Amino acid sequence: MLALANAFTVEGLHTRHVTVEVDVRAGLPAFTVIGLADAAVREARERVRAAILNCGFEFPARRITANLAPADVPKAGPGLDLALACAVLGATGQIPRDRLQSHALLGELALDGSIRPAPATLAVAHAARRAGLGTLALAGPRAHEALLVEGLEVAVVERLDSAVRVLSGGPGDPLPAAPDRSRRAAEEASALVDLEEVRGQHHAVRSLVIAAAGGHNLLLSGAPGTGKTMLAQRLPSILPPLSAAEAIEVTLIEGLARARAQGLAERRPFRAPHHTVTAAGLIGGARGGCVGEAVLAHNGVLFLDELSEFARATLEALRQPLEEGRVAIARASHSAVYPARFMLLAATNPCPCGYAGEGDRCHCSEAELARHRRRLSGPLLDRIDLLAGLARAGSAEAPARALTSSRRARERVMQARERQSARLAGPGPRLNAHVDMRSLQPHVQLDQRGDALLRAAGALGLLSARGQHRVLRVARTIADLHGSERVRAVDVGAALALRPEAHLAERETR
Amino acid sequence: MTARTRPGAGGPGACPACLRRSWLLGQLSAALDYRCRDPSRFLDVFSLEQDELLAALGGRRRAELAGRLRELQASDLAVPDHVDALCRHDPRYPASLAGRSAPHMLFVSGGSARLRMLARAPTVAFLGSARASDYGLETARGLARALAASGVTIAGSLAEGVPAAAQEGAREARGETVAVLAHGLGACPSARRRRGLWEHLQRHGCVLSELPCGASGRRFGALAAERTVAQLATVVVVVEAKAGSRELAGATIARDHGRAIAAVPGRISSALASGPHALLRQGATLVRGPEDVLELLYPEQADRAAAARTLAVDGGVALTRSQRALLQAVAAGSDGPERLCDGNANPGEVLLALSELELMGLLVRGRGGRYLPRPGPAI
Repeated sequence: MLALANAFTVEGLHTRHVTVEVDVRAGLPAFTVIGLADAAVREARERVRAAILNCGFEFPARRITANLAPADVPKAGPGLDLALACAVLGATGQIPRDRLQSHALLGELALDGSIRPAPATLAVAHAARRAGLGTLALAGPRAHEALLVEGLEVAVVERLDSAVRVLSGGPGDPLPAAPDRSRRAAEEASALVDLEEVRGQHHAVRSLVIAAAGGHNLLLSGAPGTGKTMLAQRLPSILPPLSAAEAIEVTLIEGLARARAQGLAERRPFRAPHHTVTAAGLIGGARGGCVGEAVLAHNGVLFLDELSEFARATLEALRQPLEEGRVAIARASHSAVYPARFMLLAATNPCPCGYAGEGDRCHCSEAELARHRRRLSGPLLDRIDLLAGLARAGSAEAPARALTSSRRARERVMQARERQSARLAGPGPRLNAHVDMRSLQPHVQLDQRGDALLRAAGALGLLSARGQHRVLRVARTIADLHGSERVRAVDVGAALALRPEAHLAERETR
Repeated sequence: MTARTRPGAGGPGACPACLRRSWLLGQLSAALDYRCRDPSRFLDVFSLEQDELLAALGGRRRAELAGRLRELQASDLAVPDHVDALCRHDPRYPASLAGRSAPHMLFVSGGSARLRMLARAPTVAFLGSARASDYGLETARGLARALAASGVTIAGSLAEGVPAAAQEGAREARGETVAVLAHGLGACPSARRRRGLWEHLQRHGCVLSELPCGASGRRFGALAAERTVAQLATVVVVVEAKAGSRELAGATIARDHGRAIAAVPGRISSALASGPHALLRQGATLVRGPEDVLELLYPEQADRAAAARTLAVDGGVALTRSQRALLQAVAAGSDGPERLCDGNANPGEVLLALSELELMGLLVRGRGGRYLPRPGPAI
């Protein structure tokens, strides 16, 4: 007898519909799984046998062949256990076979027959609806994720018996209580660090707020111990909370990358890969379709500490996501496009020893400095909008006060973002950093003084054409933070004083 | 490469004896580098004749090198087409390079006629540390820019740090410069690194070396170049160097040859300022700006230089009160926007004023977004 069940496997950021075909007929007792199954799926045979027997069902002592179709797609992970068990039960007539075909099944089996949640629940739920399946049966702990998908019924099954009951037309298990979002949010907020802990460094904090408000990429430069990393870790605390659509995107990505425990994402991702990361680690595309840090930072922050220590090739790979907000990966085995729209936050020492500009404490030769600048220069620095220098605090001064708290800064950032999205209504990006210059142009009409500043900077060769656009964007964000309709000269002046030092590398070869 | 030989010492050109000596220097470069550890004693080596040089430094290769010297053909001593070879017996050889320790040979790229013209004009040489601070580099650059704009020839090596910054400053003013290489022509790594400067030197200046084309000269070459620079100059300006460092050897040579020495002061706590401060105590002229150097070059016009100095306090530009205060704060060493904005009610206005001052050419934005005062007139 033959039975079919529906399951899903994850490949990179994509879910593939898998039909589990089980054929049971006379012959020597055997249980074979074919169809490019990985070790976890092949081991499912033992879990399925034990679970079926422990739940009091009959495991046929006949020749069982399970085929996972399509046969050329590699299948991974234990999420196929439930579908395999139900197909075996269907093929032996313990479950009605027609109902089996209208359900999607997701879950890992324990030997006692209870069902454990499988990763990538949200993505599987989306895929089940797209495949036209009416119901998704899965374990309770992650059922709330699947409920986010409209037009899909969710049946909670805590044990294999309940799955059999659901597939025979009975009711599912009760839905566990939804996680208390308010309590969780409060817990998370207390776990977050706060800008209030940053004493002094007002210039850098102001730059951080500007970057957060306009989605600009920021480079922090300062001697060791001045607090670059401390500031960077506080950036998520001043970013607005995830919108519903963004939260689903983040949950989807984190679920597929198996980086998420359960529930809907509530915090913006903050990814800080170590500087030894490879291009594949940063962008994705390693074997098995792993997603990279840039994709995991989608809708959040990618923090590159010690920027000059990263391999040049790794940084070059960031150009596409910074420019287009997506990553397109083509490999021999697969090709895929992932979303990757993040804020880039980078930190670096001003020179290899870290003390450039502090009297004669710096011991770097000019050749070392040139090498340091070369590593920082080039196309990546061209995508950075703001440079903030951190000063070493004077020891004789009274303890400096904090400029602002995260809550107050976040309110200002959210107000500035509201002004931007009201102005840039319609589809497409909503942040000054992402808007193309043509649609931003009407909103950056300068007064005479501001125009003169920008012209002079262009004439002196301090700014390229792209650099002028960048200054205009930043000036627009500063005006938004101040609630000003027009971009004033003071906004342009401040944006100019915050521009990155791309000219330094050119100076020698010009 | 097409090559031309100049046999015989009859016409203008290099005499074979001087060419042979320069070939020998190229062969002995390793031994010379070793002897360079003590610059004060090393100065005597420059005045050795060919045989004495071979005896002192030849070591185990003495007999072999003597044999090769005897059999040296004219074609072995050929120089490329674009290079002029001058020996000290040549009438075109710069008159300022006198004395026994002056180079026997000069290989000149850029034309010997231009060299003579440049050497006749008042010449200022810049000496200083290869690891100068931002302040030192910007000072050297600014002084050289202002002096080059006034028609002074800037001389210096192409070594990293202060000398290269001075050459860059002269280039920014499209001024005339003489660069003395530590390597032979065609083997200078810093020339490859500073392509813009190199092109400027080809158009507006001269490049000199006393080593044969293609020879490498590390420590010895640097010292020899500094000796040539010091003798070419009318005034030697020392910007930043530690006391007793090799970079100051040029200043000692310049003093021995009666050149005027000027020094830029620094903070007394900084080791890099100890060299200039020691020179100032020994009677070097204090440099507060390009006017002080011009006063040394043209003592008869001292009153005009003084007038220029009062004008240069704010560059002759009308400034608002806050801009002036900011400029003074930067000049006093408060460099980053962090410190400049500190305690100010309106940090945006401070940043605006900083940008305006930068666009007026009164400030330079350096590493890490720090601001530095920019001495000399804006070009």
